[in-house]
Amino acid sequence: MDIPRLSRAALACAALLTAALPASAEPGRLLASQCAQCHGTNGAGPGFDELAGKSSSDLFNDMIEMKYGSIEGIMDRQARGYTDDQLQLISDYLSTLPGNGDD
Amino acid sequence: MMTLNRRQFLKLAGTASALATLPRAVHAAVAPRVVVVGGGFGGATLAKYLRMWGGNIQVTLVDANPSHFSCILSNLVVTGALPMSRITLGFDSLINNHGIAVMQGQAVAIDAPGNTLTVKTASGNLILPYDHLVLSPGIDFVAPAGNWKPNLTPHAWRAGSQTILLKKQLAAMRSNETFVMTVPKAPYRCPPGPYERACVVADYLKRKGHTGAKVLVLDANAGITAEPEAFGHAFNVAHAGIIEYVPNATVLSVDSDTRSIVTTAKTVNGAKVLNYIPNQRASAITKGLPHDSTRFVPVDPLTYGTAKYPNIHVIGDSCTVPASDGKAVPKSGHMANSEAKICADAIVRSFTGEPPDINIATSSACFSPITNRTSSWLSANFIYGDIFDANGKVKGKGMHRVDIGEAPENMIDGDSYQDMFTWADSIFADSFM
Repeated sequence: MDIPRLSRAALACAALLTAALPASAEPGRLLASQCAQCHGTNGAGPGFDELAGKSSSDLFNDMIEMKYGSIEGIMDRQARGYTDDQLQLISDYLSTLPGNGDD
Repeated sequence: MMTLNRRQFLKLAGTASALATLPRAVHAAVAPRVVVVGGGFGGATLAKYLRMWGGNIQVTLVDANPSHFSCILSNLVVTGALPMSRITLGFDSLINNHGIAVMQGQAVAIDAPGNTLTVKTASGNLILPYDHLVLSPGIDFVAPAGNWKPNLTPHAWRAGSQTILLKKQLAAMRSNETFVMTVPKAPYRCPPGPYERACVVADYLKRKGHTGAKVLVLDANAGITAEPEAFGHAFNVAHAGIIEYVPNATVLSVDSDTRSIVTTAKTVNGAKVLNYIPNQRASAITKGLPHDSTRFVPVDPLTYGTAKYPNIHVIGDSCTVPASDGKAVPKSGHMANSEAKICADAIVRSFTGEPPDINIATSSACFSPITNRTSSWLSANFIYGDIFDANGKVKGKGMHRVDIGEAPENMIDGDSYQDMFTWADSIFADSFM
């Protein structure tokens, strides 16, 4: 067996793998993925209101209003399922995503 | 492409100790491998999100069927409101857009110490090595005493040919005939599902003008287990005179040949349709893993890993998530999708050497048709943290239910019925597209 050649190949292989390693998760990404069942993957539809690319403060204020307001729809319940800090992380993350420009 | 196993690579690299502190993916001479069993809402979502978030992770999804038949919306296939094609979800996008290898076959054995899964395929048994194995196999049924033949008395609690069989039997019903169905003892897949079925079947019989036709609901539980207001109202008002609801009906025996059932509350002989939905347990592929008293597999709420083998994960209907007493995490397609994302993130972190995220939340939301024009909805949310016993004392860590609620009466309407399709299209796409 040609060890030096295989070693070089193995190390090159490892270097390539290093380049393709998963990046560390961005804060809010996992929490925001829980919106996708109803708003589409990365908040970009298909589904209810598009979330991707909306302003963080609009998203956060809307969800706080739903969380602390009366029950007028299913989203008023879902907003109660997160702490205020979690709603902020979700809003910040979704605001960084490219949307389709839909409402 | 050259392939070396991990031992060969470490030997060639020669400095195993220097590598020991690096994330596992760096040691591996081949990309990290995750094998997923079950292409339903849990498995499909897990596979997709691992590829979205996980760089070069190789993902193989094993399913016995060439596509998935969704239980979500399937009661509307039973009544003929929707065609089978509406609940048939293919794996094409997972393959072509996400680079997932889909293998059609039956997962038959796990070699946990050896980290391999054996899959029975049309071309013989294949052995798949894995770094992580994720089981999302759905439910199995607990057979009742007696003579149970699901091909005569369909459960239709796994969608597909069972859905079509129940649809045909319902279509053959006429005036003064009775549709008998059971509600399994909790925990079971889709808590509102049986009550939803009773409603849409009653609505169908009414719309067809089958005077005197009835739906008899034999519930093994002490009362309606989900959306008690919406279904209680539907049974007592909207479908009054058609649905008869019987709680505390523990099934003692079933005879499919005569469509007869004996329960602790009522006995029926010769029903026109016997839609016996059996009690449920974790899928047989989990048999080497520890089970709890409810016959499901307890998991770590941060990773969905199992006690003895942290790299074997169970998500969706087959798992039990630690939760506060009386506030169990429901078994549903929506929840399976939710859990899949937590599990995917934890697996990616294990490859990058990070601990699992503890700032996590899961949820379930669903719409339940009451008639062919109106729907109710149900919402439940969980956050990781302390969980409590019945006396409010902290009993450990898990997913604590922070909110639950059903549609108020004035929201059980046509708008909710339309929202049901928006929700279904969204979760279908988030899981399979």
